[in-house]
Amino acid sequence: MAAKKKPLKSPIGRKTPRVDGPLKVSGAAKYASDFHFPDTLYAVPVEATIAHGRLTKLDPGAAEKMPGVRAIFHRGNIGKIFRSVKGQGMEGIIDERRPPFEDDVIRYYGQYIALAVADTFENAKAAADMVRATYSRKKPNVALELKPDNDPAKINTSFGPVPRLESERGDARKAFAKAAVKLDQTYVTPIETHNPIELQGATAMWEGDKLTVYEESQAIFNMQSVLAQMFGLPKENVRVITKFVGSGFGSKLWPWTHCPLAVAAARELQQPVKIVISRKMMFQTVGHRPRTQQRVKIGATKAGRLVSLEHDYVYSKSVLDDYQEDCGESTAFHYRVPNLRVHFGRATRHTGSPTAMRGPGAVPGLYATESALNELAAEIDIDPVKLRVLNEPKKDESLGVKFSSRQMLECLRVGAKKFGWARRKPEVGSMKRNGLVLGWGMAGCAWTAGRFPAEVTLQLRDDGTARVASGTQDIGTGTYTIMAQLASEKTGVALDKIDVVLGDTTLPPGPISGGSMVTASLIPAVIRAATQTGGALFNLAINTPGSAFEGQKADALTFENGRVFAKKGGPARGVPFRDIMRRANVHLVSGDGKAEGTFGEEKPGSSKHSYGCHFVEVTWQPEIAQLRVSRVVTVIDAGLILNPLAGRNQIEGAIVMGIGMALLEETEYDPRNGAPINSNLADYMMAVNADIPPIDVTFLDYPDTSVNELGARGIGEIGLAGIAAAITDATWHATGVRVRELPIRIEDLLE
Amino acid sequence: MNAETNHAVSVTLRINGRKHQLRIDPRTSLLDCLREHLQLTGSKKGCDHGQCGACTVHINGRRVNSCLCLAARHEGDEITTIEGLGQPENLHPMQEAFVACDAYQCGYCTSGQIMSAVALLEEPCAADDGAVKELMSGNICRCGAYPNIVEAIQRVRKKSGARKKR
Repeated sequence: MAAKKKPLKSPIGRKTPRVDGPLKVSGAAKYASDFHFPDTLYAVPVEATIAHGRLTKLDPGAAEKMPGVRAIFHRGNIGKIFRSVKGQGMEGIIDERRPPFEDDVIRYYGQYIALAVADTFENAKAAADMVRATYSRKKPNVALELKPDNDPAKINTSFGPVPRLESERGDARKAFAKAAVKLDQTYVTPIETHNPIELQGATAMWEGDKLTVYEESQAIFNMQSVLAQMFGLPKENVRVITKFVGSGFGSKLWPWTHCPLAVAAARELQQPVKIVISRKMMFQTVGHRPRTQQRVKIGATKAGRLVSLEHDYVYSKSVLDDYQEDCGESTAFHYRVPNLRVHFGRATRHTGSPTAMRGPGAVPGLYATESALNELAAEIDIDPVKLRVLNEPKKDESLGVKFSSRQMLECLRVGAKKFGWARRKPEVGSMKRNGLVLGWGMAGCAWTAGRFPAEVTLQLRDDGTARVASGTQDIGTGTYTIMAQLASEKTGVALDKIDVVLGDTTLPPGPISGGSMVTASLIPAVIRAATQTGGALFNLAINTPGSAFEGQKADALTFENGRVFAKKGGPARGVPFRDIMRRANVHLVSGDGKAEGTFGEEKPGSSKHSYGCHFVEVTWQPEIAQLRVSRVVTVIDAGLILNPLAGRNQIEGAIVMGIGMALLEETEYDPRNGAPINSNLADYMMAVNADIPPIDVTFLDYPDTSVNELGARGIGEIGLAGIAAAITDATWHATGVRVRELPIRIEDLLE
Repeated sequence: MNAETNHAVSVTLRINGRKHQLRIDPRTSLLDCLREHLQLTGSKKGCDHGQCGACTVHINGRRVNSCLCLAARHEGDEITTIEGLGQPENLHPMQEAFVACDAYQCGYCTSGQIMSAVALLEEPCAADDGAVKELMSGNICRCGAYPNIVEAIQRVRKKSGARKKR
């Protein structure tokens, strides 16, 4: 008797090494600047060396005569670059709206004023260095203290108008005035720069009035729509290709000015033009997390019940642009509090435009509110975990709807147990190990959940393989693998027999890689594409002469694990899809799946977020003022986790970034000329391998089917929320110093 | 290429066991030479200042930031890039371990991490995780896959150690 074939185990929820792994580890994965085309020219931008003023004279003369130089472009000869406007949905979005070279006003240090194009990178760089600029200078404002501008009650943002009074219920001011316990503190987060290791850049080429751009975009269809507008083209004439992205963290969500410059140069010279900006420019022209200054006022009972919460924050913005840093993203729903007011202002600075950086709004916002909660806990001598349990909301009090699935209390319980929180002694500096002072701290976190619109096309082939495609991107989050897992689950084709195709605007439109929503968005689209594909197979099965199902009704059939079978007959009498296709002499059958988005829905039936908490241990060596994070336990409630291997990595990576946020990262601006002065990877410190302690990540894995059929939410950003508050709390517990301005510096801790 | 007008220099580079005769601008870094002249784009540019490690290659068996090397200075040297270490169908054990341990996310710093990791195992590096972390700290991974990078390296160390003992 033949051995019974084991049924294919579902790839969903299985630790799955990345399907694109062999390409990535061998250098064969093609990132935007890895593509080569004949006759490609190299472009290097010229940066303004003032932050406020006017370009009065530009002298390209010497540069133009240098070897290999093809052109020095500037306002006088770049040709027309139009303004773009926000379109429907995720289209026409750009944070720096002004087209490059539009006027001679300089509004931030590093703003591009010219572009050198030459036959080699070396020649272009040398020429860019020789372009001479004369300015009329004014003193830039890059002041750290953020006083809000005199804005109207409703302001414009990159996504449309929003009221500055973000959320309000009850009477927070009155309740605070009467509260038995009052906390009123201000928390500051600095400008942070995303610094993906891949430098931004583009290769642009024209064929008549058709434009192709290789860029490392987190949103290829948005880039297509913006470029189409800037160059006056029908959208279908613009093709954007992004096969691999060397991470983005938000900095590659929307286009930046180097891209239209390369496109314009390619148009003028009628040759492909490649631009890769420098690390220094990455600090100047491709966005940053703005500085925030957040006042949090909490009124509470002596027992620790919140009676009021006020979150009043200011963030820095650039001169022309309207990026919004929504620090109140989580404030209004995360706590049970009858009286609440969330309000914001903006402070204009002579910097490039800020943009979304991993967990925009929520990450600085939760740093402030969770820190305030920790301070309140110390004030009334209550355990910070207990304080959160006490103030756990039963519903989303800001929207008045239930939570779709919120397991915050279990997060706290599991985290506390795994960390050994019960052994914590609350007195500052009271815990020691091996001659080091220990500090223990914790904080909660949340991040929004939802879907963007997504379209997927699935093909089955008569050799038993499959292809699944969508115009989305894999920015390191594992989308290639998730797509393969989903397609494998629905078709029974093994992972290594599935081609996943992403990152090309010739594909059906896929979701942007932002907001931690790609996986959640793709799930219903892949399922529907598979259903359509199954229907096409059934038609073949019932209409092909000699087929086992000839003459049967299509709705009597089903398709599972790669086999078509009659619902009544069961899978044992099923036929592999390739046999059905071969008998019909059909090479491929395909199906398209489309799912609408939920993000931004007007009246949601439930409040959808992911949740979690961090428990952190620091060691403090006062003799040498050395503070290190020595242990992190994190619990995340993010719905069903499709790939726990990549999932754990995502959360660990966010914690690594959070250690940097708490202890290392800040972009510093020179008040004299407005230049980011630590604009390199030695002076802008990010966590390296030696900074990272053991990290213990747990996923609770409760499916949230309000988001999609499988119940997956998103995990790309939530891990960075709350972690800085947990680290500053642990630091206080070890040292007695409350640091309310990130990053924690040694000098903050010196008595 | 308009290299002639730049006082181009002739150089023969030995890369991944193959000889390449080139005429290049003397200002060309080894990294740009690999990427732009030889289309060996596995080595990545992340900073061009020797601060991130994404461009790490081996020169005569030692790990080096190729962005800090002038290509024309390396005639006669044995240069190995990630493409020479192993290919998708024929991966080096370190490359296999990186896949198995998920020791990356976006993959951009990965070539440099792997070239560093392979060289590290030939260096006087103690066997504990702390030493490995210290000696891998010249390679920044902004995605933060550090725990898995250490796991991958230790996995290869243990396997090769077991082989050596036999």
